[in-house]
Amino acid sequence: MDFESNYEIARTAEFLLSRNFTRVALQFPDELLKDSTRVVRALRDQLRSLRKCGAEQNGGNKDVRLFVMADTTYGSCCVDEVGALHVNAECVVHYGHTCLSPTTNLPAFFVIGKAPVSVPNCIKSLSSYALTNDKHILVLYGLEYAYSIKHIREALVEASKLSNSKSELEVRFADVSCSVMNSSDDHRSSTGLVEPAGVCTDDNIFGMAPDNRYKIGSLIWTLPEGHRMEDYLLFWIGSDNPEFATVVLTFNGCDIVRYNPKENRLVTDVSQQKRILKRRYYLVEKAKDANIVGILVGTLGVAGYLHMIHQMKDLITGAGKKVYTLVVGRPNPAKLANFPECDVFIYVSCAQTALLDSKEYLAPVITPFEAMLAFNRGSQWTGAYVMEFQGLINSSLVEVKESEEARFSFLSGGYVEDVDLQGKEIGKEEEGTLALANAMEKVLQLRDNPNSLKKGTSRSGPEYFAARSYQGLDMHYDNSLPEPYLIGRSGRASGYEDEKNRQVEL
Amino acid sequence: MVKFTADELRRIMDYKHNIRNMSVIAHVDHGKSTLTDSLVAAAGIIAQEVAGDVRMTDTRADEAERGITIKSTGISLYYEMTDEALKSYKGERNGNEYLINLIDSPGHVDFSSEVTAALRITDGALVVVDCVEGVCVQTETVLRQALGERIRPVLTVNKMDRCFLELQVDGEEAYQTFQRVIENANVIMATYEDPLLGDVQKDKLWPMLQKLGVTMKSDEKDLMGKPLMKRVMQTWLPASSALLEMMIFHLPSPSTAQKYRVENLYEGPLDDIYANAIRNCDPEGPLMLYVSKMIPASDKGRFFAFGRVFAGKVSTGLKVRIMGPNFVPGEKKDLYVKSVQRTVIWMGKKQETVEDVPCGNTVALVGLDQYITKNATLTNEKEVDAHPIRAMKFSVSPVVRVAVQCKVASDLPKLVEGLKRLAKSDPMVVCSIEESGEHIIAGAGELHLEICLKDLQDDFMGGAEIIKSDPVVSFRETVLEKSCRTVMSKSPNKHNRLYMEARPLEEGLAEAIDDGRIGPRDDPKLRSKILSEEFGWDKDLAKKIWCFGPETTGPNMVVDMCKGVQYLNEIKDSVVAGFQWASKEGALAEENMRGICFEVCDVVLHADAIHRGGGQVIPTARRVIYASQITAKPRLLEPVYLVEIQAPEQALGGIYSVLNQKRGHVFEEIQRPGTPLYNIKAYLPVVESFGFSSTLRAATSGQAFPQCVFDHWDMMSSDPLESGSQAAQLVTDIRKRKGLKEQMTPLSEFEDKL
Repeated sequence: MDFESNYEIARTAEFLLSRNFTRVALQFPDELLKDSTRVVRALRDQLRSLRKCGAEQNGGNKDVRLFVMADTTYGSCCVDEVGALHVNAECVVHYGHTCLSPTTNLPAFFVIGKAPVSVPNCIKSLSSYALTNDKHILVLYGLEYAYSIKHIREALVEASKLSNSKSELEVRFADVSCSVMNSSDDHRSSTGLVEPAGVCTDDNIFGMAPDNRYKIGSLIWTLPEGHRMEDYLLFWIGSDNPEFATVVLTFNGCDIVRYNPKENRLVTDVSQQKRILKRRYYLVEKAKDANIVGILVGTLGVAGYLHMIHQMKDLITGAGKKVYTLVVGRPNPAKLANFPECDVFIYVSCAQTALLDSKEYLAPVITPFEAMLAFNRGSQWTGAYVMEFQGLINSSLVEVKESEEARFSFLSGGYVEDVDLQGKEIGKEEEGTLALANAMEKVLQLRDNPNSLKKGTSRSGPEYFAARSYQGLDMHYDNSLPEPYLIGRSGRASGYEDEKNRQVEL
Repeated sequence: MVKFTADELRRIMDYKHNIRNMSVIAHVDHGKSTLTDSLVAAAGIIAQEVAGDVRMTDTRADEAERGITIKSTGISLYYEMTDEALKSYKGERNGNEYLINLIDSPGHVDFSSEVTAALRITDGALVVVDCVEGVCVQTETVLRQALGERIRPVLTVNKMDRCFLELQVDGEEAYQTFQRVIENANVIMATYEDPLLGDVQKDKLWPMLQKLGVTMKSDEKDLMGKPLMKRVMQTWLPASSALLEMMIFHLPSPSTAQKYRVENLYEGPLDDIYANAIRNCDPEGPLMLYVSKMIPASDKGRFFAFGRVFAGKVSTGLKVRIMGPNFVPGEKKDLYVKSVQRTVIWMGKKQETVEDVPCGNTVALVGLDQYITKNATLTNEKEVDAHPIRAMKFSVSPVVRVAVQCKVASDLPKLVEGLKRLAKSDPMVVCSIEESGEHIIAGAGELHLEICLKDLQDDFMGGAEIIKSDPVVSFRETVLEKSCRTVMSKSPNKHNRLYMEARPLEEGLAEAIDDGRIGPRDDPKLRSKILSEEFGWDKDLAKKIWCFGPETTGPNMVVDMCKGVQYLNEIKDSVVAGFQWASKEGALAEENMRGICFEVCDVVLHADAIHRGGGQVIPTARRVIYASQITAKPRLLEPVYLVEIQAPEQALGGIYSVLNQKRGHVFEEIQRPGTPLYNIKAYLPVVESFGFSSTLRAATSGQAFPQCVFDHWDMMSSDPLESGSQAAQLVTDIRKRKGLKEQMTPLSEFEDKL
């Protein structure tokens, strides 16, 4: 594929000039970083040549300064606004795969790139699959294939004409919302020159907007009146990535097949993805038993993340559980295991990095939507699934009704007490520091209880620490004489000097 | 025939000396329910003529259909003794009226938990033994349990007609048979001598035999003519009133029984007011009530909490403190304060509401079902110092599991609700959820699960369709030898290293941990004494046990073997956390580990505390545990049933061939003296037991009926690491089912090199 067209150099330059940006950050994911210098060079040349023509018309444009950003703090699919603000950038150009999550402060321009796809092959799979089924088909695709959709659509019409088929095969295609994003602050004042993606998220609390409009990630489509998503077969063009997982989870009631353009193959077995949904269900059940919840800040850019964090805090406190907010950058098992007192983590991030599930994590990591299910009493797992937390912001808390029944935990196979029911009376009696002192006192009596190390038995961080066997350095030595000097280890951690010697002896 | 009203009943309830709480226990098909019915007939609830046909206590349609009891049912009986009959009675009494709270229990092993629940709330047990089949495995199990709970047993030899009709023996021989049966029963009891219970066997059973002997002699005369069999039965029926009398004579009243049972019942100090109230069966004392099971009520979805009042009174509208099984005195965990909506006494098919129920009686409570899963201790709202009554110990364990899911995905809330109710309705069934998100129902056996699933679908989910998986058996992971070398794993930052070895626990130690003889709560001195004397441990080493796991009580442990390591105490918590995690999901197929001892051999830690925190050590501990497990010849343990089959000689061939085919092996075969019947005991892997009883029935033309009871874990000899072996295949299957990678994670992922 042509370098220039793949990186959309000309279009980017035009956009930058049309908005008169002078400082622009170019954000590359790790796998495209190797091309960054070429892109910058090409873009700079293009900008110069364009400006030359422009300068003749209205004269005196300032030079555009370009900055390359790499190794983002969070997922590379999101716009790293904080990074861009370090160089006072006015705009971010984002390369590569993206989740198109709305940004908070900066406008963003997305260059998605183009992956090769064999149109005839794709059409063949699509039509042969369509014949085996009498349902309507909805075609969704990864953004890197968006450019080819036009061809596919045309070719499909052609093909159906050729075969003058009697089958009135109905195939719908989703559209890409846009590749330019104004910041959500900005767009209130903007007059809507470009259709900004932000608008869609505001009036679209996932799924059904009034006119049967659907949106997922950056794809939007409308269904005719009276049709439901369940009536459609989803045909996904693209690889098996988080984007696809998002679609499978959100429309878990639909049949889904995947066309893999890399291998030119139709994958009909998506049981692995379906399995994810069940697994998430388990995690929700597990989260219900949690006493201490950690909120992991997984984005500093996606619009509304602060609101979401606050909403989560309220939700969890309302459920009578203890909450801590943690910022650890991109989470990994070792980082999260530093907080063994947390029974569950809620990861507030963009939709495509939201699913963190690995056996390696000591405690489950769930999404805000799952947290709503777990900590909102009375809410039930119905199968509906929301990945993007923007959709949850407007959904007000379900009124916490005075529940009649104790909560049944499927992990312990019995009723478990609920703290909020029990905690109310305590809260009234003991306020503030007194409560803490009392809690500590109670904890200290429990020190030798071997159960205390079991997960989910302590109610707050201090309580957990008080129950640990290790209480810190013991300063009360019996002899006051200073310890003699000892020669420490030397060498490197992979094998200290003395150990190397030992190894040789062996 | 005495017609009595609820008020009348209520009046007698106050006479604690005139109450007898008893359960009827026996092997399956020895005639408990029929006997119970004749007792009920004698006490006058149902008409004499239907007794024997209609089983009063089998209230469920499927019970009647299958002809077996599934749920235990309580009935209150009323019996008036004549003055003459009571002349010889030495104990305390209040008039001649007696109230007998009777609980009929199921005989099939799969429902043993129902028996346990029944025994807890009664003081005496009527052990029914078929005179031909004699003492069977289930008789033995329930009798053991009864004695463990300090329940006084009395023996009844039932189905005497079989003796004469089927075996054609004469009176003398029959008498010998009975004697043998009784001796057998005594042998079991002899192993459970209990000073407080008194010498059960001699005092109580011999008079009993004489009583039976008397009845029998009169039978004998009639028996010479075969067609008179029916009359024998009728002569037997009056014996039910003799039985009632005998119960009143020989079974303890609540006030007598609670004197010695309090030690077994109460968890708290035995000299506090609650213990004293139980001991004295004091109706004015603080309320102590144990809910032993939940009974589905006629309005769908609600349950009666069925239990026994040990002290005080429970009344309608009373605010009670509910202490669940996980309650720890002084904490708020598993504790609710709620009021009783209604108190009910239970009589077979109908219930009668009463104002209050005093101690010594069984009672059903309405309005507490949303806070009690299976059992609980209730006391007065203000009694904050009360300790709960000890939890019941079941003789069977839920080893067979099925995964259920609903046919229509949107029925999930119904399924969740249904499972919740199912969990409540049965003392043994466990409803849980797997890591993969599947709902699991675990029961004691195939029949138990079948009944549970039927209940779930029909009663608790309103007929919504469910899909069930094939039965799944859970395995355990263990090791055969000591690790071939000390393995090492590095922390993610490479600055900390843990060295460990795994070795199998000494034989019998895992069982000792299971039984709670050794556990995390032990006094370290006592523990090291047991370990050094029974298992040959070094005395000092026994003090270095860091923890047990999984769930902090499981049959695996971590032992510290390090010498002079700095900061070791600092990482102990992290290693323990990693161990709890790893021992729950072993390296082979993420099944629980069992019988593995992990020895921490050496530790190298970073000098800065921040670099040896939980984040670094917990994952590393888990990896090194897996590595040491893999290097110590890992093996799978499979659960094994003890099967008892009773069949005539001609069926033996069929039994042996079926057992062979199912990997079972017979270890005992004895002929019942005086009968053509053989008793066969065999071990059978639980995995192979599905469909076993139907295959067996087919192979023996219905003459053999097996009773399976979980017995032990058996090591599978094949090596799961060797591809193609049986164990490896099993591991692959389990991993596939759990949605894991089919290939086991290789050792190199867990072990690091210097």
